[in-house]
Amino acid sequence: MKKFAVLVAAIAAVAFAAAPSARAADTVKIGAAFALSGSIAVYGEGFKKCVDLAVEEINAKGGIKGKKIEIVYEDNKSNPKDCVTAVRKLITVDKVPVIFGPAGSSNFMATAPVAQDSRVVLISAQGAAVGLTRAGDYIFRVFPSDTLQGPHLARLAISKGYKKVPVMYVNNDWGLGLKNAFVDAYKKMGGTVTDLIAYDEKKTDYRTELLRASKGNPPAIVNLTYINEGAVQFKQAFEMGIKTQWLCGSAARAPKMVELAGKAAEGVIGTYPAVPQNTKAYQAFKEAYKKKYGDDKIPIFGDYNYDMVYLTARAIEKGGYTADGIRKALPQVARGYKGVTGDKTFDDERSPKFAEYGIWVVKDGKIQDYKK
Amino acid sequence: MDLLLHLAIVIAIYAVFALSLNVEIGYTGLFNFGHVAFFAIGAYTSALLTLAGFPFSISLLAGLMLAGLCGFLLSIPALKLQGDYFGIATLGFGEILRMVVNNEVWLTKGPMGLPGIPRPELFGLHFDTLPAYLALSGGMALATFAVLAFIVLSPFGRALKAVRDDETAAEILGKNAFRFKIKSFVIGSVFAGLAGVLWAHYATFIGPGDFTLTETILVLLIVVMGGKGTFLGPVVGAVVLIFFQESVRFLRLPPEWTRLLGPLQQMVFGLLLVVFMVFRPEGIVREKGGRRGA
Amino acid sequence: MDSISYYLQTALNGILAGCVYALFAMGLTLIYGVLNFVNFAHGELIMWGAYFLFLFMGEPFGLPLYAALPPALAVTGCLGVAMDFSVFRPLRRANRLTLLIAAMGLSVFLRNAAQFFWGAEVRTYGLEVTAGLRFFGLSLTMPQIAIIAVTILCVTAVYLLFFRSRLGKSMRALSDNLDLARISGIDTRRAILAAWVISAVLAGIGGILLALDTNLSPEMGVINLIKAFAATLIGGVGNLWGALLGGLLIGLAENLGVLFVSPGYKDAIAFVIMVIILLARPYVIIGERSD
Repeated sequence: MKKFAVLVAAIAAVAFAAAPSARAADTVKIGAAFALSGSIAVYGEGFKKCVDLAVEEINAKGGIKGKKIEIVYEDNKSNPKDCVTAVRKLITVDKVPVIFGPAGSSNFMATAPVAQDSRVVLISAQGAAVGLTRAGDYIFRVFPSDTLQGPHLARLAISKGYKKVPVMYVNNDWGLGLKNAFVDAYKKMGGTVTDLIAYDEKKTDYRTELLRASKGNPPAIVNLTYINEGAVQFKQAFEMGIKTQWLCGSAARAPKMVELAGKAAEGVIGTYPAVPQNTKAYQAFKEAYKKKYGDDKIPIFGDYNYDMVYLTARAIEKGGYTADGIRKALPQVARGYKGVTGDKTFDDERSPKFAEYGIWVVKDGKIQDYKK
Repeated sequence: MDLLLHLAIVIAIYAVFALSLNVEIGYTGLFNFGHVAFFAIGAYTSALLTLAGFPFSISLLAGLMLAGLCGFLLSIPALKLQGDYFGIATLGFGEILRMVVNNEVWLTKGPMGLPGIPRPELFGLHFDTLPAYLALSGGMALATFAVLAFIVLSPFGRALKAVRDDETAAEILGKNAFRFKIKSFVIGSVFAGLAGVLWAHYATFIGPGDFTLTETILVLLIVVMGGKGTFLGPVVGAVVLIFFQESVRFLRLPPEWTRLLGPLQQMVFGLLLVVFMVFRPEGIVREKGGRRGA
Repeated sequence: MDSISYYLQTALNGILAGCVYALFAMGLTLIYGVLNFVNFAHGELIMWGAYFLFLFMGEPFGLPLYAALPPALAVTGCLGVAMDFSVFRPLRRANRLTLLIAAMGLSVFLRNAAQFFWGAEVRTYGLEVTAGLRFFGLSLTMPQIAIIAVTILCVTAVYLLFFRSRLGKSMRALSDNLDLARISGIDTRRAILAAWVISAVLAGIGGILLALDTNLSPEMGVINLIKAFAATLIGGVGNLWGALLGGLLIGLAENLGVLFVSPGYKDAIAFVIMVIILLARPYVIIGERSD
């Protein structure tokens, strides 16, 4: 028993010593709890690239008041429990005043109360779920809420003549939120929802759900899905001979989805918060990305992450390197700020006030803007 | 410092969980592989009630009672089974419960889980700092230890061991084996529920992903490796394994490594289970006068 | 899909799933019969079989599907033997509970080893997406046709091996009574080895078929183990035909069941069946060994 206790103490000492604090002198540390492993690592890796790009640019121009930014990355392993652990660790061990939150609305919403209670600013660059920021005034997002997207998707369906659709959606905060926003708007526009099918993420086989959705040969099916799930679903639907017009939200709009689904994704249409890509700012961003990483395929939500870094840097500059300072400064610096993704003014719920929605389509194996 | 507090709290919670399972496995010979279900019932009951506005004392009690009741209801049909079939049936029950929790979104918010579970307030004390929570969970662990030790050292406990070792002989001596098993199962379930309550209010977030087969394997390993049928065994097991599992989270490692850490840990757990079964099924802390073999 | 096709397709999916479960169950029940324990790691043989094919089809081997099949199955067979040699042989005399726990540990180890090498994401064999054949309003893809054909082949092969060969006779003798078989001069070592190879290869074939039809994931073993076990219980321990029947029944029950409950409960159906059978037949399990 004694030897054992010594071992325990030794390991504890090592671990304790190994964990540094953020009080270190000359860098401005910002935490990032991204999915670097697990099923949504494809998102986290993309975010990291864009965040790193922004940080590099800011540091090259002198950083924040002379100090360089350093991002402390924590892997959230693509599940809510580890997201909470990652955020907790950034708060208690690294003691950062602001954290870039995880992708996946449910993951983000699991961590929000932790950040709020500890009075640390938490920002999301891709959370679309309705009510994402309701945990408190330390929670922000730079990505528009789906309360704005639902009506656009409904309008798309109606305008193409689909008055009756079944709705498939991921059984989580994001899917539920968008589903509700869509259904409300769709009904108001005179549409009828024939079936509601919730499904779990990360499954390998969706044929039961697909079979049920395709019952009665509907001309269109609304599928609020993600990259991997969408790819599996479109593939299996294709194999089953289901011919229908797929209507999606923004989360599947990724080159990776098309890559995984192959020709089964051809013709899929969806709505997404449209960011005009022909602005000077966006082109500059694309150029810089290409220069650093060698290709110009901006990862999904990467542009929002880029803006998030810049906004945060400005907030730190204005309000100081404390959570409270950042919290107060963010709405001020965001007002009228035009990032690569547009006007980032916050509304009362610390979500972007303005968002435009476009329509995307998978045509000739590529994601393009849909022209009617 | 925070790291050590976190470790101590999680160890205390798992000690309660393991001690509860030990009553069933170690003392009664009931290999309950669905024990995590009662952990989940305690956690969800207390979380839902506290989120709905009930005071912690009520939520805690409700969690314990519901876990115990479910244990009672499950035990009646399940205890007809022997040995490994009992294990598999209880495992099935545990998984079915998890799927229900995952699907009944209206009740449990399904895969989204319950965020924002408040830290408990009991007798006017608000346990929202780490040291405070350590006091709470540590206190509960000690209480559990004391209560369970009292139970197993009593004639009741000796009867349980008799039933475990040789049911027929015990019956001849006039002990109603079935009744004893049910009591043992309910006691185990109640304390598993307690562990669940403590966990939910510590982590402030629970989801169906917290109550999977992985948890079952972990607590089984703690009991089996620590030494079942003793009351120091599960505590030793909890200290060693939880330390190993949690402290690794706090090491500074580059992301390319962290994605491998999870599976690696689990591989070690699996290996440990196998190694102990082959070489030392009694566990680290051996039972006095106990027999070899599971 | 109109109503009649909908129900027929559901039934067809049930049979397809059932064929795969039958392969799993036959492997599981074989070991259960010969060595008298539930190989909880059988699911990982299924999963690793599928991943071995993935391995041989990828870098650095780069073999096409048909060329990669023999090495993949061979290695899976070796894995089964290795499992026995390292874990179950030392425990040959232990009681069933110890074996079950050891198997659970092995299962965790193997499952996470796969995740270690290949990550947790869903993967595919990278075959081109093709629409299935259509007949009478039903759809049947190439992998699905393969499922039916291969299952028939395997069942025939197993039948020939078991009831028409000496090796099969030895295995059946072991099934009845291990000690008696030893005493009667049957080469138990060879029979046990054969049982593991067959069990593993059947699992591997099933896993590959399943992965061709759906996709690969490190978690694909566990849930299929439960289904295999449920099928084994239905058919009776050690009873190969029972396992076949049990597998088909579970497949049908699952797919028809989701016509009535939410698709999220599909996997639960097999669990519920398993628990009900266990609870409803507490004392006598058909084919229980005499030793």
